Amino acid sequence: MLRFTLERLVGMVVTMALVSVMVFLIMELPPGDYADRYAFRKYSGTGVNVTEADIQAIRVDLGLDKPLVFRYFDWIGGIVLHGDFGQAFAFETSVLKVIGDKIWLTLGILFSTLIVTYMVSIPIGIYAAVRRASVADYGLTVFSYLGLALPNFLLALILLYFANKWFGADIGGLFSADYKDAPWSFAKAWDLFKHLWLPAFVLAWSAVAYQLQTVRATMSDEINKLAVTAARARGVPETKLLIKYPARLAINPVVSTIGFDVNRIFSELPIVAVVLGLTELGELLLRAYLDLDMYVAGAILLLLTFMIVFMNFISDLLLAWLDPRIKLGASS
Amino acid sequence: MTSVVNDDLKNGSESELTEDQKRLLKYYSASQWTLIWWRFRRHRTAMIAASLLIVMALFGIFAEFVAPYGPTSRNTKYLDGAPQIPQFCDQNGCSMRPFIHGVSTKRDPVTLRAISVPDTNKRVYIEMCLEGEKTELLGFIPIKTHLFGLQDPKAKLHIWGTDDLGRDMFSRTIYATRTSLSIGVMGVFISFVLALIIGGTAGYFGGRTDMVIQRVTEVIRVVPIIPLYMGLAAAMPKEWSTTQIYFAMTLILGLFGWPTLARRIRSQLLSIRNEDYVVAARLAGAKPSRIIGQHMLPSFTSFIIVDLVISFPYMILSETALSFVGLGLRPPTVSWGVLLQQAQSIRVIEQTPWLFIPAVFVVVAVLAFTVIGDGLRDAADPYAEAK
Amino acid sequence: MDDMLKVENLSIAFRTDEGLIAPVQGVSFSVQKGKTLGLVGESGSGKSISTKALMRLLPGTAILGEDTKMTYRAKNGEIIDIEKLAPNSRKTRHLRGGEIGMIFQEPMASFSPVYTVGNQMMEAIRLHRDMNKKEAREFAIEMLDKVGISNPAQRIDQYAHEMSGGMRQRAMIALTLSAGPQLLIADEPTTALDVTIQAQVLELMSDLQRDLGMGMIFITHDLGVIAQIADEVAVMYLGTIVERGPTRDIIRDPKHPYTQGLLEAIPKLDSLTHRLSPVPGDIPSPHARPTGCPFHTRCTRKIEGVCDVKAPTEVDLGEGHAVACFLHADEGRHVA
Ligand SMILES: Nc1ncnc2c1ncn2[C@@H]1O[C@H](COP(=O)(O)OP(=O)(O)O)[C@@H](O)[C@H]1O
Ligand SMILES: [Mg+2]
Repeated sequence: MLRFTLERLVGMVVTMALVSVMVFLIMELPPGDYADRYAFRKYSGTGVNVTEADIQAIRVDLGLDKPLVFRYFDWIGGIVLHGDFGQAFAFETSVLKVIGDKIWLTLGILFSTLIVTYMVSIPIGIYAAVRRASVADYGLTVFSYLGLALPNFLLALILLYFANKWFGADIGGLFSADYKDAPWSFAKAWDLFKHLWLPAFVLAWSAVAYQLQTVRATMSDEINKLAVTAARARGVPETKLLIKYPARLAINPVVSTIGFDVNRIFSELPIVAVVLGLTELGELLLRAYLDLDMYVAGAILLLLTFMIVFMNFISDLLLAWLDPRIKLGASS
Repeated sequence: MTSVVNDDLKNGSESELTEDQKRLLKYYSASQWTLIWWRFRRHRTAMIAASLLIVMALFGIFAEFVAPYGPTSRNTKYLDGAPQIPQFCDQNGCSMRPFIHGVSTKRDPVTLRAISVPDTNKRVYIEMCLEGEKTELLGFIPIKTHLFGLQDPKAKLHIWGTDDLGRDMFSRTIYATRTSLSIGVMGVFISFVLALIIGGTAGYFGGRTDMVIQRVTEVIRVVPIIPLYMGLAAAMPKEWSTTQIYFAMTLILGLFGWPTLARRIRSQLLSIRNEDYVVAARLAGAKPSRIIGQHMLPSFTSFIIVDLVISFPYMILSETALSFVGLGLRPPTVSWGVLLQQAQSIRVIEQTPWLFIPAVFVVVAVLAFTVIGDGLRDAADPYAEAK
Repeated sequence: MDDMLKVENLSIAFRTDEGLIAPVQGVSFSVQKGKTLGLVGESGSGKSISTKALMRLLPGTAILGEDTKMTYRAKNGEIIDIEKLAPNSRKTRHLRGGEIGMIFQEPMASFSPVYTVGNQMMEAIRLHRDMNKKEAREFAIEMLDKVGISNPAQRIDQYAHEMSGGMRQRAMIALTLSAGPQLLIADEPTTALDVTIQAQVLELMSDLQRDLGMGMIFITHDLGVIAQIADEVAVMYLGTIVERGPTRDIIRDPKHPYTQGLLEAIPKLDSLTHRLSPVPGDIPSPHARPTGCPFHTRCTRKIEGVCDVKAPTEVDLGEGHAVACFLHADEGRHVA
């Protein structure tokens, strides 16, 4: 198990290194560089005349005149060695400050979404497989198609519309007005919790549709396995039998795709965040892109990807723990 | 089963075959593609989806003819106007031909703003295939005829209402259909070519080449795709023309759409690279590209087609999402995403819900592609048991 | 007679997409305490589903015939009408495992891959014996030892995939017997094993049966195996029993053309030609059952106008030997 863990860890580091190169290239992609945009943003409209020399001075100051490879190592070195993600010019402060506790909000959204996803898809998927061709089973098929076809942000719009129409309530956002800028307290956390269910539900939408299909398909396979018949032939009571034998295996593919789900959630997060007015990393990422605040954008893209890679790692470990066959394959 | 048919063939000339045997004979001598088509045809939902999609595509292609107005033509007398539903009856009785009520402008007694209200005493009749705005079909054939319009050339028909600038939502949606579907096609095409090259290289050469390509693929798969697309789209210079942006978008979507398909091609190639016929071709000195294209790909074309069909939804949804948040196509180009940009706030949806109509198109198109993909998969591989 | 199980007129039908099929029709047999009944026939003849019916293990699409009677005498002497049991009742669950145990062809697939052998054994023991965790574990180790698994105290915590094929089947036998059944159904338990291991497992099963005084139904498609283990044989073809009798009589003097064909298929040491199909032709699909004698489509000695018209009834040849074949209809009349 130790060797297995180490192997996965090394794989994770290599992947992240390659990801960082790609993220850096994306940061470098827009025309002009940080110095240009900084100068333009700071002085345009102020009447101050910025010369090319001034910009060059900023450039040299920040080390932006160095070749690409050096700049990459400056950037990644700062992150890895000092936790320094660079400067956010739109806010005139460090990227880290801008991101701040949005990381925790994002993680909160992520985990509540994952919880909703699995709490819904696993039991219903199992139920539909046990009661094949029942109303639940057909309903599920229809829902999975819809879940894949109706994009989350449109669902969010529709929900907002109906919430407004029926309850006259604005259910968007992460906090009520009272707590928005208040310091963290128990009451604020509770307020956040009350607001989390909507984004969690919206983001879980397509993940549920996908996982329902998976759970149902594996469960249907597992139910017909000989091991289940053999256990039944030993007199194991039906409900216990279903849970202990096929259901236990039907969650394996779910566990192995946790990383995918996180990926999907983060992929949809920026768009949903705009609609629902969520002030977390996804929304910040979108704003950073629109403002070409590339250090902020790069940092967020890197962080989101890191969380995905990390969850992949967790899912590998979980799976090895859940399924003894994998451990054996890895050590031999 | 096959042997039975062969025996039948040996035993009698064709004229002696019974109806049943003839049917069997036809079945067994049909090509793989005919078989797939026969099986697909039995899949009712998929057939409906395919017809829907074809209609949608035709509307898009012949947008100039189908849409009564251009995507940016304005009707300043009917801003934020509600859909004008063609009717056959009103308080003045019924007619055989559909009509709408004329519009007159009044001043809102409270806000003093000019508002449009239907004039229930004035009927304007709808006609099919009549002359209207001059446009160019497919961008180069000048036409004046449109699928439908109003008899009275001065009145304008907005069956799906208008937006805040008085632009006809029906016409805009039809033009948007063209853009969105074509972006999907181009994106899928580009990612197909890339998948062919990348997956082909990995699967044909295997070994170290394969390992490197696998690593890179892994990196692309692990980064959340929409934020990645957004990063590339954000880099498009502000001064680019709509055409440049359109092509850049297809490139962006295509650039990262290949991993799934490349994986399929790679694993299929790996599994058959040591088959006799491939080895024979290699020994005969054929070039890799020729061996892959002529000898290896045909053995799993049907799977590739299925994968291509089911990758459409991702393209369409990505384009819609990007344009929706302002990082994709930009006005005056119209696409489903661009149109939905106008419907971003609840207030807008509340007051002018018809601006949400393009969303229905998105859902229907994605649903159709998914259903067709499933139908094709069942047809191409009947033994894979639909789960 | 000391019948512990008596099956009369067992018929099984399935609802399928293509309509109703009836793969088992009017099968009767009985098992005596301490004796082994061999059930022989090609695959698809309905052996497995017949025995699954005894444990009420058929899927929901299955329908039992109306005049099917399955009577079983439990360990405590109670007479159980199996066909009347409610599917998931306490009684059914006690019957499964506690009274009748079942061993399957694939030892690997019979174990769950995610639980240790010991886990599954202890589950069965605690379901059917009044034992706590610790006692159950000790008993499981004892059982593993009994079936000849060396080092049972360690093996108990292994997974099935960590064992060899033969050892797995031994473990499966231990698992099934640990619940304490008095009737063991073995559904082709040796088919998936190597020949040498096959012999060892067969020997183990005979020994255990003798020691525990169990009745046994041994299913196989190989008459050679039957000769080694069964006291009586029933030959099944397409859902009916075509010949039955004491093993020695059947092996020495088979009456039904199908049994004769099966016997010829046993590989002999002095001939290298190994025939795969005992009788020429394929077993008809259950959707297209032949009329008359089910075997007439492949029979080399069929009587035109008789065999393809009506089904033969069973003819008693004396000493428990009976056959359902028109070729022997006269002999039967002489005896009677
Ligand atoms: N669940 C089922 N649904 C429909 N038919 C079945 C089912 N299970 C078995 N059968 C039918 O019963 C026949 C006998 O099956 P089985 O008892 O497994 O044969 P055997 O064990 O002799 O090889 C099969 O050929 C099949 O047609
Ligand atoms: Mg069987």
